[in-house]
Amino acid sequence: MATFTERMGPVLLLWLAVCLSGSWAVDKGNFKTCDQSAFCKRQRAMKPGESPYRALLETMELTNTRLTLQLINDNNKVRLLLELYRLQGNITRVKINELKPLKPRYEVPDVLIREPPTEPLSLLSQDENGVVLSLGAESQRVIVSARPFRLDIVEGRDVLMSLNSRGLLSFEHLRMRKDTFSYKVTSTVASVWDNIKRVFSSQADPEAENKEGTDPANPAETVKEEEEKVEDGMWEETFKSHTDSKPSGPSAISLDFSLPGVEHVYGIPEHADTLKLKTTDSGDPYRLYNLDVFQYELYNPMALYGAVPVMLAHNTQRTMGIFWLNAAETWVDISSNTAGKTVFGKMLDYVQGSSETPQTDVRWISESGIIDVFLMLGPTPRDVFSQYASLTGTQAFPPLASLGYHQCRWNYNDQEDVRSVDAGFDEHDIPYDFIWLDIEHTDGKRYFTWDPHKFASPKEMLQGLLDKKRKMVAIVDPHIKVDTNYKIHNEIRSRGFYVKNKDGGDYEGWCWPGNAGYPDFTRPDMRAWWASQFGYDQYEGAMENLYTWNDMNEPSVFNGPEVTMHKDAMHESWEHREVHNLYGLYVHRATAEGLTERSGGVERPFVLTRAFFAGSQRYGAVWTGDNAAEWDHLKISIPMCLSLGLVGISFCGADVGGFFKSPSTELLVRWYQTGAYQPFFRAHAHLDTPRREPWLFGPENTALMREAIRQRYTFLPYWYQLFYLAYHTGEPVMRPLWVEYPQDPATFALDDEYLLGRDLLVHPVTEEGARGVTAYLPGKHEVWFDIHTFQKHNGGQNLYIPVTMSSIPVFQRGGSIIPRKLRVRRSSTCMEHDPYTLYVALDNQRTAEGELYIDDGHTFNYEKKELIHRKFSFANGVLSSVDLEPNAQFTTKSWVERIIILGASKPSMVTLKTADGENQLEFDFDASMSVLTIRKPGMNVGADWTVTLQ
Amino acid sequence: CSFLSSEMRFHIIIAAFLWAAFVESRKIRGISSSYKRFYRERKSFLCIDGSKMIPFEQVNDDYCDCADGSDEPGTSACPRGRFYCTNLGFRPHYIPSSRVNDGICDCCDASDEYNSHARCQNTCWNLGQKERAYVEGQMKTLDEGLRLKQQLIEEGVLLWREKQAQLRELQRAAEDLQIKLEEHRKRKHEADRLKEQTLKALKAGDKGKAPSIFRTHFKTFAHFAELFQFTQLGRRFGYRAASISCLLSLTGATTLLGGGHQMDLSKFQNTLWDNFHCFHLVGSLLDYTNVKLSCNCIEHYDNFDLQKKLEIDYGTDWEYLFLNGQCYKLKVYEYMYTLCPFNMVSQKSTAGTEVSLGLWGMWAGPAKNHYSQMVYENGEPCWQGGSRTTSVTMTCGTETALRSVKEPSKCQYIMDFETPVACQPVLKQRGVHSEL
Repeated sequence: MATFTERMGPVLLLWLAVCLSGSWAVDKGNFKTCDQSAFCKRQRAMKPGESPYRALLETMELTNTRLTLQLINDNNKVRLLLELYRLQGNITRVKINELKPLKPRYEVPDVLIREPPTEPLSLLSQDENGVVLSLGAESQRVIVSARPFRLDIVEGRDVLMSLNSRGLLSFEHLRMRKDTFSYKVTSTVASVWDNIKRVFSSQADPEAENKEGTDPANPAETVKEEEEKVEDGMWEETFKSHTDSKPSGPSAISLDFSLPGVEHVYGIPEHADTLKLKTTDSGDPYRLYNLDVFQYELYNPMALYGAVPVMLAHNTQRTMGIFWLNAAETWVDISSNTAGKTVFGKMLDYVQGSSETPQTDVRWISESGIIDVFLMLGPTPRDVFSQYASLTGTQAFPPLASLGYHQCRWNYNDQEDVRSVDAGFDEHDIPYDFIWLDIEHTDGKRYFTWDPHKFASPKEMLQGLLDKKRKMVAIVDPHIKVDTNYKIHNEIRSRGFYVKNKDGGDYEGWCWPGNAGYPDFTRPDMRAWWASQFGYDQYEGAMENLYTWNDMNEPSVFNGPEVTMHKDAMHESWEHREVHNLYGLYVHRATAEGLTERSGGVERPFVLTRAFFAGSQRYGAVWTGDNAAEWDHLKISIPMCLSLGLVGISFCGADVGGFFKSPSTELLVRWYQTGAYQPFFRAHAHLDTPRREPWLFGPENTALMREAIRQRYTFLPYWYQLFYLAYHTGEPVMRPLWVEYPQDPATFALDDEYLLGRDLLVHPVTEEGARGVTAYLPGKHEVWFDIHTFQKHNGGQNLYIPVTMSSIPVFQRGGSIIPRKLRVRRSSTCMEHDPYTLYVALDNQRTAEGELYIDDGHTFNYEKKELIHRKFSFANGVLSSVDLEPNAQFTTKSWVERIIILGASKPSMVTLKTADGENQLEFDFDASMSVLTIRKPGMNVGADWTVTLQ
Repeated sequence: CSFLSSEMRFHIIIAAFLWAAFVESRKIRGISSSYKRFYRERKSFLCIDGSKMIPFEQVNDDYCDCADGSDEPGTSACPRGRFYCTNLGFRPHYIPSSRVNDGICDCCDASDEYNSHARCQNTCWNLGQKERAYVEGQMKTLDEGLRLKQQLIEEGVLLWREKQAQLRELQRAAEDLQIKLEEHRKRKHEADRLKEQTLKALKAGDKGKAPSIFRTHFKTFAHFAELFQFTQLGRRFGYRAASISCLLSLTGATTLLGGGHQMDLSKFQNTLWDNFHCFHLVGSLLDYTNVKLSCNCIEHYDNFDLQKKLEIDYGTDWEYLFLNGQCYKLKVYEYMYTLCPFNMVSQKSTAGTEVSLGLWGMWAGPAKNHYSQMVYENGEPCWQGGSRTTSVTMTCGTETALRSVKEPSKCQYIMDFETPVACQPVLKQRGVHSEL
C-alpha cells in the first residue's frame, strides 16, 4: 500500500505536493532526527562519565527470587527502585522505576506471554561497596556496585555484560510543572490550583508533606531538590506544524550496556539496513518508532513500520540478547572500540598482543515508561531464541497454504479481474494459493464492506476460488471512516471505542477514507468487539477462504506528526506516547483473534501486518512495507527479514517485484527467484504501475518465474516443518549463517546469503546482469550439494558459481534429509495427498538426518496431537524412519515415491522393510554425480520403515 | 453345482469386478486415439522421446520413468506430463498431469478424477450442446457479420470514391479560385488606383470629372459584386453581413450613376465615399484570402479535413471508413466511456469531468491481423508521469458497439469494440470437433 494517491482529498493533495516535491526518495524532513526529538537530544547530550546514581545497599531486600534496592540520584535526590529477577532459562530481568512516581508510569502489558517464572537468587557476599549474587545454579554472578551504581554480570572470570558502566543511566522523574511564567491558560483548573498553592506555600503542599512524614524515602523531604533546569521541549514540543502538549512533562529513561568481547550486534528491527548493526557515533541512533515512511531510503537508521526492541550480541564464544520492554519512542546508540580500526590495525593488535578487548557499548533511550530489561544470556544462539520465546512466545503456526505463493496488486479491479487473473495462473500452469484485494475493493474505504458494483457478489467470487482450492486476502485497516451511514463507525463511536484527542473528543485524522477515527485497540473490550466483526454473521460476503491483511496500523495518520498519531492522544488514561509501538500489535492481534473465533477456534488464522512489536510473531506474518522496484531493495530484503527472524518474527517477506515503480524484467525474475526462498512469498505492486502478473513478459520469462514458484512448492514440506519448529522453539526459519556456524567469523556479517533452517543455504542472485555469484559455504568439514545439479562442494570456502537467468544458487547441507513434493499442482491444498521424494544428502561420514511434519494443514488440531512427526536418519547404509511423536494420531495418504541419495556409492541391492514385510527396490545409480535414485519404495510416509543399501 | 454358498457367490462377484477392472486397465488412461500406437501392450515400453526403455507394467504405475512424461499419461507422476480428456460429446483436450486427481474436476467427462474425493459429473453432453449452440450462434453472427461487412465494404468503396471525387472537386475549385483571385487582385489594384485618382480629383475640386471616372470604371466595380456572388468568400470568412451591405451600397451607387448623370454632388460624394469603404473592405478580404491561399494553408476549406481523413488507413477495403465521424458510448460503473473511432477516446465520471483517454494513434494488431487492434495515445497526463492510452480490440459481431472497458493498470485502458467489419472469414474454418 502506498501512502498517497490522486484519489485523496484536496487537503492531502496539498500536503502531497509538499511531500513529493523534489526527489523521488523519502523526504527525511518529515521525520524527526534525534536532535528534533527533545528527549533524545536531551539524553544524547549526556556524555559517559561518573553516574550520579548510588545504590542504597541498606534498602536491599532479597526474597527467594527477587532483589530490590533503592537507587538515589545524588544530583536531585530522586530515588529509584531497582528490581532484579533471575528468570528460568538463563535470563536476568532488571526493572527500574521511580520509587514514588507522581503518578504511575506505564508498564507494557500484553507482550509477555505470562509472568516469567523465576529461579532462586542467592547472596554470595556483601560489603559497603556492593553485593554479589549468584544467578541460579550456574557459575554466573551479578555484582551490584554501590557507588556509582552499576551492574556486572559475570561468568567465571569473564564479564558478560555491564549496565550503567558508562554512567548513562537516566530517569527523568515525573514532576509538577514549575515554569509558571510560561504556564498556559489552557491548563486544567486543578493544576492551576496546584500551582497557586505552590506559589503561596513556602514548601510543598501539606498533603505531600504528610506523605513525606510517613515515608522517609521520599526524595522531596530528605534533601532539597536541586533546581531542575527547564529546557525547551520538556513541557511542549513542536515539530513542523504539530505541537505535542506533553501534559506529563519530561519522562525519558536511558541506560547503557557494555558488551566486552563483542564486535557484532544484530536485531532491533525494523530498519532498512545491514544485518550487522553499525555504530551510530557519527550519525543518528537507530530509531524505533512505528512510522509509515513513504518511499523509504536504504542503509540508514531511520524508523520504519515496526519495532522490536531486542538486540543480539554475538562473538565466537557466546550469544546474548537484550530485550528492552518499552513501547514508547526509542533510540538505540551503538559504539564500538574497534569500529574505527582497519583490518590491518586489528591484526597488528592481535600480533602485538597489545590490543584492548574489543567491546561494543549500547545505549537505549526511551521517551517514557520504565526500564524493564531482559538480559538473555545465551550462551548459544538457540538458547537466546528459546529465552526470547519463553518471554514473548513463538511464531504463530501458519496454515500451510500461506507458505505458498501470494498474488497481490493494488488493486485487482473487480470480480472479473480476479477471475481472469486466477484463470491466467491455470492457463500458464503456475501455482498460487492466495489472491489479494487492496483498499479499492471496499465501498469507499469502509473496511468490512465491498464495492457494490465491482465486488457485488463476493461469495460467488470466493466460491470460485474455493472450487480451485485457493484463497483470498482482503485488506482491513484500522482507520475507520467517519460516516454516520457506516455501521462500523457508528458502533465504535457509540461504544466509545475510539482513541480520544487530548481534549477528550474522538481523535480524528486523515487516511484513505478521508476523515477517520482510530479504534482504541489497547482496550480488551474493543479488541473483542473488533474480533467479533470477522464473524460470518457480521462480515458480509466473507467465507472460510477469506483472510485478512492489516495495513496502515503504525497507525498511519496522513495529517499527523510524522504521518502518525499525536502523542498526546489518549488511550483511556494513557497517552498515545506510551503505547505507540504497541498499537500495530494490538490491531494484528484483534484481527487474528477474530479469524480464529469465526471458526469457533478450529481454524488457524492468517493475518499480515505492516506494523509490529515484540510479540507480534504470535499473530501472523509481517512484510517489509512499501519498498521499490530497485536492485538495492531486492538486496535489502535479505538483511531486513534476517533481522526480524532473529527477534522471533519468522514469517517475513518483501513485496516481490517492488511496490513502487516498475521493475525491469530481469529484476522481476530475480525477485521471484529470491522470494521463492524467503518465508512470506507475495508479489505486490502499486496502483500506478503497469501490470506484472508473471505471464506478461514473454514465454521465456514466464517459464523462469514459473520455475521459481514451482521450486517453492516442491519445498513446501520443508518450509512447513521449519515453521513447526519455529512455532515450537522460536528458532528463525530464515537465519543468518552465524546462527549455525557461531564460531566462524566469516559468517558474521553476510548480507547476501542465508540459511533456511539448518539445511538449505540460499545465495540468490541480486545483482543486475550477474554472470556469477560468490557464495560462502560454511563448515570446514561440511559438504554442500547444489540442489539442481547435485554437484558436491566442500564447506569452508568461497565458491564462485557461474549463473544464467535460470540460476537460483541453493545448496543442501551434506548430512541432511529434506522431504519434498515434486508433483507441483495448482495450489498447495491440491498437493495435500501427494507422495514425497526424500533428498538424502550424505556428509563426509555418510550419515544424514532430517524430519518430516504433517498435519491437516489448517486447523489447531495439531495441539491435540493430530499430527505426524517423523525423524529420518541415514547411517551405515540404512535409512530409517522413526516416530518422534508416538502419542500423536494422524493418518496420511501420502507415500514415498522416490529416495534420492546424494554422495552415495552404488549398492548391489536395496531392500525396504516395513510392518508388512520386506521387498527389494529398484534403483538407478548415476556414477558421475554419485546419485542413487531409489524407485518407488511406496510405503506410507507416516509408517515405520527402513531402507537398506547393500 | 446348484447350491453356491453366499460366500462363493460373493467371490464370483468380486472376481467379475476384478476382471472388469483388468479389462478397463488395459485401456491406457489419458491418451488420445492417435497416441494409442505408442502404447500397444508389449513386454516393454519405449519412452516416446526414445530416451529409455521400461517394462510395460511401469506405464501408468504412478511413477515417472520417462523424462518426457510419456510413461505416465494417466497419472500425476510426471512433472511435464499431459493427460488427454476424451470428453465424449464435447471437445477433447489435454490438461497438465498435475491436474489429475487433484480434487478439481477438469475434464467434463470426469476422467481426470478417477481417484480423488472430488465428485465430478459428466457434463460433456451439456457442455457440448451449449458449445454447439454457441458455435451455431457464432457462425450465424459470423455469416451475418460477413454479409454486413460486405455491405459496408461496398458502401465504403462508394463512400471512398465519392469522397475522393469531392476532394478532387474541391481541389479543382481551389485551383480555380487561385486563378480568379490572381485576376481579381490585379483588378483590385486597378480599383485602388482608381480610388486614388477619384479622390485626387475630388480633392482637386474637379467635381464634374469624378462621375465620369467612376462610370469609366464601372465594370471593375461590377466585377467585385460578381466576385462576391460567386465565391461567397465573405460568407466563408464570417464577413457575410459586411459583404452584403457592401454589395447593396455598391448596387445603390450603380443605380445612382446609371439612373441619371445629373445628381446632387454631395449625395454622390457620400455614396461614393461609402463605396470606397466597401472597396477597401473587399480589398482587404481579397488580400487576406490571397495570403491564405498563397501560403498553401488550405485548412479553411472542407477539403483539408477530408484529405486528412482520407489519409487514414481504413482497412484493405475501406471497410472501417464508415466509423469515422461516429461515436460509441458505454457506461461502466461510475464512468461513461466514449469511443469516436479514428478520433479520440474519453471518460466522463458521474461527477461530470471529462478526461481524454487518448487520441487516434494507429492500428496495432499483429502482422497477420493488423486491423484487429487500435491504439489511442497521448490522453490526459497521469499522476506518476506518462499519459493515458487506450487499446481497442475489434471483435466480430452483427452490431457496431462498444462492449467493454477495463483499466488493468493505471491509465492504460482496454476496450472491446464489436463490429461486423471485424469479422474474418477464416474464423469459419474453426468449429467443434467432437470425438463421437
